[in-house]
Amino acid sequence: MQIVIIGNGVAGMNAALTVRERHADWSITLISEESDHFFSRTALMWIFSGQLSHRDTEPLERDVYERLNFRRVRGRAVGMDTAAKRVQMGGELEDVSYDRLLIACGSRPRPAPFWQGYGDLTGVGHFVTHQDLAWYEREVHGGPSLAGGPPNADAHLSSSTADSPYQPRPAAAEARGHKAREVAVIGGGLIGIEAVEVAHAAGLKPHFLIREEWFWPMALSKQESTWIAARMAEHGVQMHLETEVEGFDSVDGLVSGVRTSKGTVAADAVVVAIGVVPNTAWLADSDLELDKGGAIVVDAGLRTSVPDVYAAGDCASVKWFNGIQRPEQLWYTGRDQGKRVGRALCGDEVTYKRGTFYNSAKLFDIEWTQAGLVGFDLEDEDELYFEESGTVRSTVRIVSQRGQVKGFNLLGRRWNHAVLVRWINERRSPAYVLAHLAEATFDTEFVPALSVPADVRAQA
Amino acid sequence: MYAQGQDGLMSTYRSAWRTRSPRTYALSALIIGLYCALYFTDVFEPIAQALHLRNKWFLYGTVYSILMIGGGLYFLKAHGNSRYHKIRIAVNVAIQVVLGLSLPYAMAFFGHPDYYFSYFWPLKYDYLMPGTLNYLPWYLALYSVVGAFIIVPFGALFFGKRWYCSWVCGCGALANTFGDPWRHMTSTSTESWRFEKVSIYAVLVFILVATAMMFGDWFGGNQIGWFHETAEWTKYIYGFLVGSILSGVIGTGVYPILGPRIWCRNFCPMAAILGITQKAGRFRIAVKPDMCISCGNCSTYCEMGIDVRAYAQQNETFTRSSCVGCGMCAHVCPRGVLKLENAWDENTDKANAGQLTIEF
Repeated sequence: MQIVIIGNGVAGMNAALTVRERHADWSITLISEESDHFFSRTALMWIFSGQLSHRDTEPLERDVYERLNFRRVRGRAVGMDTAAKRVQMGGELEDVSYDRLLIACGSRPRPAPFWQGYGDLTGVGHFVTHQDLAWYEREVHGGPSLAGGPPNADAHLSSSTADSPYQPRPAAAEARGHKAREVAVIGGGLIGIEAVEVAHAAGLKPHFLIREEWFWPMALSKQESTWIAARMAEHGVQMHLETEVEGFDSVDGLVSGVRTSKGTVAADAVVVAIGVVPNTAWLADSDLELDKGGAIVVDAGLRTSVPDVYAAGDCASVKWFNGIQRPEQLWYTGRDQGKRVGRALCGDEVTYKRGTFYNSAKLFDIEWTQAGLVGFDLEDEDELYFEESGTVRSTVRIVSQRGQVKGFNLLGRRWNHAVLVRWINERRSPAYVLAHLAEATFDTEFVPALSVPADVRAQA
Repeated sequence: MYAQGQDGLMSTYRSAWRTRSPRTYALSALIIGLYCALYFTDVFEPIAQALHLRNKWFLYGTVYSILMIGGGLYFLKAHGNSRYHKIRIAVNVAIQVVLGLSLPYAMAFFGHPDYYFSYFWPLKYDYLMPGTLNYLPWYLALYSVVGAFIIVPFGALFFGKRWYCSWVCGCGALANTFGDPWRHMTSTSTESWRFEKVSIYAVLVFILVATAMMFGDWFGGNQIGWFHETAEWTKYIYGFLVGSILSGVIGTGVYPILGPRIWCRNFCPMAAILGITQKAGRFRIAVKPDMCISCGNCSTYCEMGIDVRAYAQQNETFTRSSCVGCGMCAHVCPRGVLKLENAWDENTDKANAGQLTIEF
């Protein structure tokens, strides 16, 4: 049996491990353009700052491919011949034949309309891939940390294409002769805040350009966002809210500023972080059914519209708990889908069904946890909100509907989302949840326990 | 919200002082040289006399305390946004200054032998040797025995190994203050783990044998000539190889290139005993289910080389005998996945995990 997996990320690797656990003798091939090794993309910001080395971000030892007999092809998949069951590779690389194929090729940065027509403008980039990281490091730090870059960084170039997200990008800093002094980050999401945080850690006062009325409206209320923005401003981040980017200014092909609806912001390095889209442009001419956003449509068994072809992770469009068809771009769902699709590749009937939504992140030094339905504008929705001030500064927002708790949005403390999700599934009342709220905290030792203010209790 | 940040880590690998570089190798060589001079020559005696410090060991204790205070300030600058770390490092430094330096120094004025209340057999292997027990006043001898057989293991049973290794022990405290800039240098490789699990128990067996022989010799009234000589020789070799070379010269000397817990992880016999007790006790690192993003901060900053991330990815609450409970993994986790705790009850999170992880 020939198993071929396109993508060496969390979904692809977990699928490979699952198949290998069951079948010691099956041939397993992993195709990866970006990197020789499976790594945690969520850790790019720490490689940039110097907190982690590339090796530190790799969850498995580097010899895992030899040890588990995974064949590795470092290069770009450019198309598919589904009738002949072959993946076409770029450059001189031979086609790869499969019996069963998993596409787990992830996301790529969302193209920005305001960046079109600028040709070879240098000094503008993204912060999604290893190659983006290397570019941003050169702009801000003059190069990688003393721990070095990833091994074989350029091994894929001979098979790559010009539109690949894994193309290296020249840095304006090199042409200009000095490192970036003014950094602008466009896009108020998680990648944006990471790019801002590490620029700040490098000693800069980055500009944060956000189109919306407040930072990260997808996850935060205005109140919560303002609370965080105040903290970022304390750190020296220059927040520009309700600022629409229109284009760039440049000198000799090097970026010198961002033109916005509110004037020009001087910048010698610009990170465009307006989200990610499925990395599936290479499948446009294939028989695979793609959704509106370009993600590969899969059924509950993670099967695509073509026999023996499966998809998982960021590039797969799955049915959400609320019936909507779209990809789940989360680390834990990628891992879960990978494990599950690994069983499908073995021939099992599997069903992928996502439970209650949850996620967490860290915004500078502020912990964020979300569980359930927050920001869905439910019918008859009620909301409880309070802030804690003192040794611990935190905020709590509890969404309920007709006396039943539906969601939590929490900042400043650590929470055990498993307890929160259980309460949602048990249809607990806001009063019950408030009375037990401290039980769901997951703070480290000696952090003062949460106490819910009396007036908030009364409100419930 | 300030309680759990990670202000101090960001630039680790961008500092030549914190990566393997000519300067860290030179620093390592310097520390090794100083330890050799301290242990095997008397070059520091005149300096100690000049400073009215009685002997070179009090000079060493003074320098040790100064490095710990300086390192402690560095540590608090880096990780002081964690209350666990703030309290822990304050206790560490206080114990060193009071029990590790001032009290032993003062005891002599009152006609007592200088005694270090924060050290126990087998780390301070002398304290359970028949010769020492005979020489110590009865209450200090009793403290030595109670310390080694009751305080140490029961402490670990209830609070984990950390009660000693991360809160009391002078070696651990130096590692966590002066040695903190290099905690990421600890190897997480499989080979290092293979080495550790043999070496640490080998040293434990060594000191058990040496102690048993000394007692055998003592009970026999030191009458059997060849046995007496063998026992004394075994103790001497242990003292030289383990007491001087491994704990001092190597243990501290390689901080800048191999990380600060080489001694604790690979050789300390007390850590071995504490680790065994810890496995049977309450301490554990609780893992929040399905929240780990595999970033690797926990494994990188684990000074004992434990692959914490591997447990976090498996949703597995765990107790490792080598874990000294420094708390750094929980502190650096950007998703708040890890939590150190002491509890007898079975892992309650398992029940919760079922709600999230779709079984297959």
